[in-house]
Amino acid sequence: MTGQVLTPQAPPSGAAARPASRRERRRQARLAERENQIPVELYGLRRGTVTLLTLLAFLFAIFTLIPIAWLAINSTKTQANIFETFGFWFARPFSFFHTFSLLFQNVDGYGTYIQWLGNTALYAVLGGVGATALSAFAGYGLARFRFRGSRVAFYVIIAGLLVPITALTIPLYLTYAKAHLINSIWGMVLPSMISPIGVYLMRTYADISVPRELIDAARIDGAGELRIFFRVALPLMVPGVLTVLLISVVAVWNNYFLPLLIFNVNTRYPLTVGLGLWSDRAVNSGNAELYPLLVMGGLVTIVPLIALFLILQRYWRGGMLLGSIAN
Amino acid sequence: MTSRTAWTRRRDARGIWFVAPFLLGFFLFMVVPIGYAIYTSLYTYRIIGGTVFTGAANYTQALASGEFWSGVVRVIIFAAIQIPVMLAIAFFFATIFDLGVAKFGRAFRTIFFIPFAVPAVVGAVMWSFLLEPQFGPFVRLAGALGLGSVNYFSSSLLLPSIIVIVIWEWTGYNMMILYTALKSVPRDVVEAAILDDTPLWKIIVRIKLPMVRQAVVMLVFLNTIGALQLFTEPQILSYFEQGAVSVNYTPSYYIYQTAIAADETNLAAAMAVLLAVVIVVISVASLIFRRRRGELA
Repeated sequence: MTGQVLTPQAPPSGAAARPASRRERRRQARLAERENQIPVELYGLRRGTVTLLTLLAFLFAIFTLIPIAWLAINSTKTQANIFETFGFWFARPFSFFHTFSLLFQNVDGYGTYIQWLGNTALYAVLGGVGATALSAFAGYGLARFRFRGSRVAFYVIIAGLLVPITALTIPLYLTYAKAHLINSIWGMVLPSMISPIGVYLMRTYADISVPRELIDAARIDGAGELRIFFRVALPLMVPGVLTVLLISVVAVWNNYFLPLLIFNVNTRYPLTVGLGLWSDRAVNSGNAELYPLLVMGGLVTIVPLIALFLILQRYWRGGMLLGSIAN
Repeated sequence: MTSRTAWTRRRDARGIWFVAPFLLGFFLFMVVPIGYAIYTSLYTYRIIGGTVFTGAANYTQALASGEFWSGVVRVIIFAAIQIPVMLAIAFFFATIFDLGVAKFGRAFRTIFFIPFAVPAVVGAVMWSFLLEPQFGPFVRLAGALGLGSVNYFSSSLLLPSIIVIVIWEWTGYNMMILYTALKSVPRDVVEAAILDDTPLWKIIVRIKLPMVRQAVVMLVFLNTIGALQLFTEPQILSYFEQGAVSVNYTPSYYIYQTAIAADETNLAAAMAVLLAVVIVVISVASLIFRRRRGELA
């Protein structure tokens, strides 16, 4: 499974020549981008085309932002006002801080938001770091060693790429039920560490970024294989490692199906399952006071994520994104 | 294979230790569960007699039941509408941003990408609030537009609603991939076309689209696999409107209901294996198809 879209970008060449400050670097990138652009006038467009296209983009931007705006506005409202007042404007009383404080309490015995947030962070960090470490090791091993069975191992991993996540989740659940792993955090964390796409990307990345001659030179100097990996190969693989880390953390962060099946006590829930439970209780068990919490919980879940994505945007380039779609 | 000395071979053999931890995990958390699911699917629990070996009985039951197939048909319809619409929108914006024929391209690209940062559960909850039949602002909006009282969760509008939600979630992501692919189209090709007085739409359809065809095929393939597993959105919507989402709405949802609500784990295992086989067959067929066209390294 390869091709231009899946090929990770080569590490930036001439890193030393890059200007020091980030702002300067960004300015230069923007200038380079502009320089690469063919001037609009050359296309021979009719007048008003640019305005029309900008307007269409603007409309789609509104569509994109509407749910988020609704969430932000309604996080300031009381339960009654969420139902009764106009959805896209504010209403008194301002109850943002009151609702926010409820995120730290166990409301109606259905669980505490802040605990779910902690659980999600724990699963995402353990699972994401684990997946990245295993992928970096395996990717490097497959890219730079030709051991007995290495081809078979690679094809097994490619096969793993094809296994749909839903189809794997039910078997995991059945196995846990048998092995008494229901409600164990390891039941969540360990399978999250197995990322065939991560191995695939790391193998491709190690192949283009770690020169064989460098490894051989280190061997002649008498360095052990592990030392070579950590001191020589890993530093060269850093951009790829970061991307795999992002993909794996996000995959665990967003995972809903597996934790929904394997946890049946709300103290173990991650955010996704917790918010799902609140939806159910708010609508179907008459716990209407959960509505504002659901809105606030949704907002507090996405704001840090959006901020993180905007900050780390440059690691989300092109092909590297592909790893996350099947989830 | 060039001449390999004993030394290289011994050195290369150590590589297994780098791959071993992953392979161990792969075996324990992929191979074993799938094997166990296949094993389970061959048995049936009976109130009298307990669990007995019934061979392919669960498979024939699943394959013979209209419920399983109606879910399969629904996700196929879903994919057939959602994927082309989404890719058309994504390609449209990727192209105009790539050409620079809309203003504020950078800002729009960032905004369009934001839903990718939103977990599907939260996305589905937000949209459920917006579309909710009693007080959802979109219901009022439809009323204000003179459309009368629209129920977005009714059986005829539920699938379109889910399509809108999924388009909202994934368009920016697909656009970003197409945008990156478009950026790699050599500038001089486009310049030559401009010098030949080729109209813009022709440049887009005749030059740009063929050059990113590979990325488009890849996205069709990945989105199809995602669509066949549709679960989170209908599952969350089912909370907001009782009875709107049937137990067999999508294959994944039906498997979930069979395993958890109905507690028929053997049957659920058989259906999970069936779904996996369908998806793997599609994946392999697509791989072979692309390899034949020389698109695979």
